[in-house]
Amino acid sequence: MSAVTEVTPPAPAEETAPPSGGSARTRDRLRHGGLALWSVLALLYLFIPVFIVVLFSFNDNQGRFNFTWQGFTFRHWADPFADPDLAKALTNSVEIALISTAIATALGTFMAMALVRYRFRGRSTVDFFVFMPLSSPEVVLGAALLAMFLTLNINTGFVTVVIAHVMFTVSYVVVTVKARLEGMDRHIEEAAMDLGATEWTTFRKVTLPMIAPGVAAAAMLAAAISFDDYVITSFNAGQTQTFPLFIFGATRQGVPAEVNVLATMLLLGVLLLMAGNVLIQKSLARRDTMRAD
Amino acid sequence: MSLNTRRKLLPWLFIGPGLLWLLLFFLYPLLNQASVSLMTGNPEQGYDLTWAFHNYWDAISEYKEQFGRSILYAGVSTLLCLIIGFPLAYFTAFHAGRWKSFILLLIILPFFMSYVLRTVAWQLILSDDGTVVSFFRTIGLLGDDGRLLASRTAVIAGITYNFLPFMALPLYVALEKIDPRLLEAATDLYASRTTAFRKVTVPLALPGIFAGSLLTFIPACGDFINAALLGTPQQYMIGNVIQSKFLNILDYPQAAALSFTLMLFILVGIFLYARLLGTRNLTEAAI
Amino acid sequence: MAEQTRRKFLGRGGSLALAYALAGCGIEGTLERAQKAATPIPEITHKKVPIGNWTFSNWPLYIDKDILKEFDEQYGGHVKYLEDINDNDEFYGKVRQQLTAEQPIGRDIVTLTDFMAVKWVRNRYVQPLDKKNIPNVVKNLVDNLKSVPYDKKRDYTVPWQSGAVGIGYNPKKTGRELNSFNDLFDPAFKGRVTMLNEAYDSSGVTMLAQGVDPTTAKIDQILAAIEKIQQAADSGQFRRFTGNDYSTDLAKGNIWVAHAYSGDIVQLQSDNPDLKFIYPDEGAMLFTDNMMIPAKAEHVYAAETMMNFVYEPEVAAKLAIYVNYLSPCKGIKEIVEKTDPDIANNPLIFPSDEIRKKLHPYPALSDADERTMKEAMAKVTGA
Repeated sequence: MSAVTEVTPPAPAEETAPPSGGSARTRDRLRHGGLALWSVLALLYLFIPVFIVVLFSFNDNQGRFNFTWQGFTFRHWADPFADPDLAKALTNSVEIALISTAIATALGTFMAMALVRYRFRGRSTVDFFVFMPLSSPEVVLGAALLAMFLTLNINTGFVTVVIAHVMFTVSYVVVTVKARLEGMDRHIEEAAMDLGATEWTTFRKVTLPMIAPGVAAAAMLAAAISFDDYVITSFNAGQTQTFPLFIFGATRQGVPAEVNVLATMLLLGVLLLMAGNVLIQKSLARRDTMRAD
Repeated sequence: MSLNTRRKLLPWLFIGPGLLWLLLFFLYPLLNQASVSLMTGNPEQGYDLTWAFHNYWDAISEYKEQFGRSILYAGVSTLLCLIIGFPLAYFTAFHAGRWKSFILLLIILPFFMSYVLRTVAWQLILSDDGTVVSFFRTIGLLGDDGRLLASRTAVIAGITYNFLPFMALPLYVALEKIDPRLLEAATDLYASRTTAFRKVTVPLALPGIFAGSLLTFIPACGDFINAALLGTPQQYMIGNVIQSKFLNILDYPQAAALSFTLMLFILVGIFLYARLLGTRNLTEAAI
Repeated sequence: MAEQTRRKFLGRGGSLALAYALAGCGIEGTLERAQKAATPIPEITHKKVPIGNWTFSNWPLYIDKDILKEFDEQYGGHVKYLEDINDNDEFYGKVRQQLTAEQPIGRDIVTLTDFMAVKWVRNRYVQPLDKKNIPNVVKNLVDNLKSVPYDKKRDYTVPWQSGAVGIGYNPKKTGRELNSFNDLFDPAFKGRVTMLNEAYDSSGVTMLAQGVDPTTAKIDQILAAIEKIQQAADSGQFRRFTGNDYSTDLAKGNIWVAHAYSGDIVQLQSDNPDLKFIYPDEGAMLFTDNMMIPAKAEHVYAAETMMNFVYEPEVAAKLAIYVNYLSPCKGIKEIVEKTDPDIANNPLIFPSDEIRKKLHPYPALSDADERTMKEAMAKVTGA
């Protein structure tokens, strides 16, 4: 509260009624403090469940339920894949995420390139069309696909889940890659072409490396969405079990602590990946500045 | 092939595969769903297209409550997300300093823990004998036999929780773009902080508010996990109905009619909302 | 110009073609199959072949997994045991398409409750059994289950376990002993009660509360019961309508009274010793889950060998000790008595004849009546 004693510079009139003793700075501080507190609370709100999930991966639960704290143990961490159904569900989810991400990233990247690079008839229609799945509730997408598989007599299962996941992640890829492309300098590619590179070579040697971070981000987003999807998958999975479906099913009998372990491991994995990415970016940036010198 | 034709074909070559995928697995299913919604029959005899438009009337009048609830809960949650998320995004964009990327990381991080599992964790936090409930009872917000779990509050809190990052991130992106000098200029021109906020910050953050609201409202409207895990039948939303009609009761036509109605409602809603906020380019705003 | 005509064509012609394509489709039903299947069963012989890798689908927590291990050791091969049946209708929804299209569903045994078994037998989604391969079942199946209306001679189905649908509750919370299904509707427990979402179970116990015999009930009596449930639900009496997922809430103390399965409560008592299960004075609903071999299953002999295996009294005893439901196998009480006298004397697992008489099987409904009932119940459960 030292600001009160300070002589305030003739600050621009604040409100209509000028404050008497309290200075603008005190109020600024209060405002900052309030904002900071609010943000901390909001982040806490986001993290309490995460914290609970991690905590209960160490719970020494006696019965089949895992909801009262009964002591600390590493028991569940010793062999999180003990339950073959859970292990299968997890592998399915990983496989589905990898396959659908690969397809969606390929399809989406090319679409984004065409949408940014070319002016052509129907472009805005395509644009709108890409936007549509993003603006449809998942339950509608899942239900519509199931209805189609039913009428065409296609059995739902692993393949239909991949089809569904590609369908709704491709739009996210397009959007992400587009954002990267729009911020890019076209002249470098033009220069390459002027120097006699074919379009394909230019694409491979110039465009692709430049949009690579955007594509990587898009792929990661697609993988994360695919891996965690419950709604669309529940409609089209048939008998295929995925990690989210397993958890939802397990809520009826009590979710085993191994699920908490696996979820925590995944979270740690993502954190490590992000940290690694930051380190790589930093060392790359350093190398670039050194080269520039 | 002439250069001209090649030029014309090239973009379609790039777009073709992706577009085909969307046509086959997005547009066609939607149209097909429209046709299923006009069928009649039962699981034993099968379903045939009889142009039964009454399916829509039946479905909507039967489930108007669930429709209303979906819109209400999604709307309240969106508003709450905005109230919680705006200061968070504002703080991150303008005052977080070197903590900026750390806070952003924290906002994103819960995404990487299973959605269903986090919602199950809420079940545990809000349980009747839990600390949260006893705290609320102590301070008198809940009666002695009041409860949080299996109530409207829990469902709305769950939805708000799950979609908060979808609101906070676009808000941050929009706020981040604002040049702080604009605000300085405003205050220099003797605008109060409140006026500067109202006349400068909010209008510039509008695309973020628009995008965030859509990204929250749309999935919230179709959500059924929160209502299933944190609510009772009195809180079930239209998503719960669509899901159980499709997967348990096998009443495909009514399920399709409900789903199609939800889709139409959302599309019309987006359109009106865009008009209201005066955002011209839908696509860009949402992105 | 050219562009415009092309677009017009695509617009009109395209949508017309699409409309045709859509109109041509429908979603296949199951009735034809049922009619086709109403033929006498020929003599069945399933050759003894090596067991190989085969698949068994069952409900969660419904077996002592040692039994699977022993089976593998004794007969060779490997059983893939899936705990993927959480709800009869949901499971049927998952495999319906393959069944109607006469394709294998990737399982050699499925375990479904009576009313669903009716549907599978009627539509011949299952194949007849070779009785020569299941002598234990023929010998040890308890008398009252030897014949059921939908499978008079047990040609298609073998009971896995039976159970009663009664009331599970926590006397410490309710503050009094319960003894009637009317207690589910007691306003004192408002918001602390769960009811099963399975229409057969919920309408059944409500009819018992109303003094109607559910086994012979007609559709309008069933609908009247559902109406009663609806009124209570509207007043907020029921916290949720559940499958067997009431167990978490009951053990946690979120609910006090659950419309529950007998075996579940016995299992839950290890988590929460306060819990109690009762057969109300009016009686209780009796259900049986049945093992069946899906029509196109590959490992028929393996499936039959397993059915036979679980009817060896020692194995059946082990199963009863673990799952705590009613065993359909004769002569196991004596075996259980030796190792676990508590369980042998538990009336939930080995009910007296007096209690057994009060257990009512489900009514046999036509497809149409069943649909009417399910739709009415679905409206109550909000889905």
